[in-house]
Amino acid sequence: MTALLEHPGYEEQRLRSAAEKLPCRELQAGMLLSLMGQPQQYSYPSIFIYGHRASGKSHVMQVLLKELELPHATVSCVECVSVALLFEQVLLSFFGCDVASLLPRSPSLSDFVRIYRQQCSQTPAKQTRYIVMEKAELLRDTDANLLPALLRLQELVEDNVTVILLSEIVWDKFRPNTGCFEPLLLHFPDYSKAELQQILSQDRHPSYSAEFYSSYINILLGVFYSVCRDLRELRHLAALNFSKFCEPLAEGKVKETDTHKLWRNIEPHLKKAMQTVYLREVSSLQWEQMQQMEEKESGALRGLSAHTHVELPYYSKFLLIAAYLASYNPARTDKRFFLKHHGKIRKTNFLKKNEKTSNHLLGPKPFPLDRLLAIFYSVVDSRVAPTASIFSQISSLVTLQLLTQVSHDDQLDAPKYKCAVSMDFICAISRTVSFDIVKYLYDFL
Amino acid sequence: TPHCATPSIPSRSLPARQPANVLEEARTRLHVSSVPESLPCREQEFQDIYSFVESKIIDGTGGCMYISGVPGTGKTATVHEVMRCLQHAADVDEIPPFHFIEINGMKMTDPHQAYVQILQKLTGQKATADHAAALLEKRFSNPAPRKETTVLLVDELDLLWTRKQNVMYNLFDWPTRRHARLVVLTIANTMDLPERIMINRVASRLGLTRMSFQPYSFKQLQQIIMSRLNKVKAFEEDALQLVSRKVAALSGDARRCLDICRRATEICEHSAAEPSATGLVGMSHVMEALNEMFSSAYVTAIKCASVQEQLFLRAVIAEFRRIGLEEATFQQVFVQQQALCRVEGLQPVSVSEGLAVCQRLGACRLLLLEPSRLGVLQRVRLNVSQDDVLFALKAD
Repeated sequence: MTALLEHPGYEEQRLRSAAEKLPCRELQAGMLLSLMGQPQQYSYPSIFIYGHRASGKSHVMQVLLKELELPHATVSCVECVSVALLFEQVLLSFFGCDVASLLPRSPSLSDFVRIYRQQCSQTPAKQTRYIVMEKAELLRDTDANLLPALLRLQELVEDNVTVILLSEIVWDKFRPNTGCFEPLLLHFPDYSKAELQQILSQDRHPSYSAEFYSSYINILLGVFYSVCRDLRELRHLAALNFSKFCEPLAEGKVKETDTHKLWRNIEPHLKKAMQTVYLREVSSLQWEQMQQMEEKESGALRGLSAHTHVELPYYSKFLLIAAYLASYNPARTDKRFFLKHHGKIRKTNFLKKNEKTSNHLLGPKPFPLDRLLAIFYSVVDSRVAPTASIFSQISSLVTLQLLTQVSHDDQLDAPKYKCAVSMDFICAISRTVSFDIVKYLYDFL
Repeated sequence: TPHCATPSIPSRSLPARQPANVLEEARTRLHVSSVPESLPCREQEFQDIYSFVESKIIDGTGGCMYISGVPGTGKTATVHEVMRCLQHAADVDEIPPFHFIEINGMKMTDPHQAYVQILQKLTGQKATADHAAALLEKRFSNPAPRKETTVLLVDELDLLWTRKQNVMYNLFDWPTRRHARLVVLTIANTMDLPERIMINRVASRLGLTRMSFQPYSFKQLQQIIMSRLNKVKAFEEDALQLVSRKVAALSGDARRCLDICRRATEICEHSAAEPSATGLVGMSHVMEALNEMFSSAYVTAIKCASVQEQLFLRAVIAEFRRIGLEEATFQQVFVQQQALCRVEGLQPVSVSEGLAVCQRLGACRLLLLEPSRLGVLQRVRLNVSQDDVLFALKAD
């Protein structure tokens, strides 16, 4: 199973232990090793590794660098909100913490290069130093000169250093407009189904046999592989549902080899898990507790997205309804819906073909405050005075993100709004005030 | 460090080499930094400035003068020449003694630094910009019994522009004070600068004493070079005429003219080994130098581009012709490039290769591109004219 990682200059035993930790990534690890060369040799100045999420980019890099004990600095660009942190981390892991404190308060790139050169003249590299930048796509948002400088850092600091960039985005979207030193591109392809099976089968439960666990993984992949190829997510699901899978075994109903019965038992459960756990509707902890309580049917618990009921004041509800109507109805139909004696409007003129079904698909349209208030007065049966409380309710609906203000914040004169709630939500609201909203919606005429 | 150390650079261990032959001699004489004793072809301007400043010094009054002209017409050199002559006159007691100070807008980090520099050059005092402004204000508005006239040269005036224009305003307001005895000479490139960027109260204080330096004609340029060379026989007569005619036709920039002459002597030196060489700078050398300095590098860059890059440029032009606009997205151009590849019998390139080609051309500024993170939706424009591209592609 462990394919051979071979390279002169490294101890065979370390290579073997590294290879054991890198299942299904022998090709990429071997390629990386040959790019890195022997420890004292100069490597290529920058290597750009890309591949989907959970395709083992950081893992392969970390295992290789750790197992082979190469000097390296791993920097996550998410953490480094300023370049100062980035420089500090690199200096810290190469030269120790007293050097990192040499950096001035807000260091520039030239400060970093100066200190690096100064330090590496004192302690020259015996082995290639590696800087691994995770989530490198964030480097594009920093200073324009940082990425080009990192790509040719070897040349700038005159040291045996290699920068490795890890990203999920292809290199074409990185290239600065002024050009740069082109890194070597290395692609990590997705794991195939067989590879996923092989990797997932490795972390089996000690009290069950390997075949048993791998048949469980097989069933799991059969359900989830079409929607999810993310190794991390699958591993999490496998751990979560395994106890349910073993249940009949513990009760002594079936034997380990009786795959069909086990499958019959687990399959509806996994299908349900896809709707709840995978979308994080029910948290993993709740899911485990639910599995403990047998009588409670899983999925009976209301998930996060079912909690759409919000307590609102009476007029706020009507304001929200009016906003919804204003957002999804064309303005020229208002006369027909909200005026009592609107005269005769021909059905043929009224219904424009292309407008008929598209309003809900196109999303909400902005409307001015006047229209909102006009619809509001028309849908509320009693007389409402336009008091300050009505207007403050509108602005608090904006704060609650049930409405969004489209025009600029400081516009007091005729502000425009959009309604930001879903159909289900507004139906629930209108039911509480016994208002039939569907009757007033142009799309459902 | 000592408090008042004079700045210096390390001195050479060996003295600079003396020119060994005629060409080297000519080169040192033609160097832009070796300003000659007398400036040919600027006698009229010299006279005007001289009489203006002289009359102000003798009368003990103040005034402003605005000097404009395109780069390389000898504005700064003429003013310096005037000041040297006046200084000489003051030394022999023909006119009252005066101060000459000079500031340059481009040498300042901030327009308000002008106050600091003026104060330091006048009195040797160091102060912050605000304090210096107050001190200068006091100095120029209060009477003092034995005050000398100050001549202030402000080079690159347009860089002293601030939003409230208070630096410019002060510079032009001080000379109007009764006791200031300040003459301000300002130099900028554009003739209509006061009307264009200055508000009325500033422009009116600058006054109407204006002078514009015309670009040199070819005869003047020729005369300048001749006077520089000063009987050193290094150039053929026709070669000099060619340089001056070419430069006069384009810009009339004396510095450019001198540069070309110096480059021509270098080329001549390189080709001295050939049997036909006469040791003089001939027409061919000058032609080569002119080509080097005036020809556009874009055409050469397109000619030397790779096959796919040339194909991409052709695809850009084909796409522009098709849609009738001067702008297209990368994916539109890419479709054209694929078609062109097939026509040429080449293997069609992949999208990322196409993007690499496009972005390389963008980095050379042959194309103007949007940020690369837009991917295939980034818009492409040509930075050179279509005719240049077609000429460069057709030439081979």
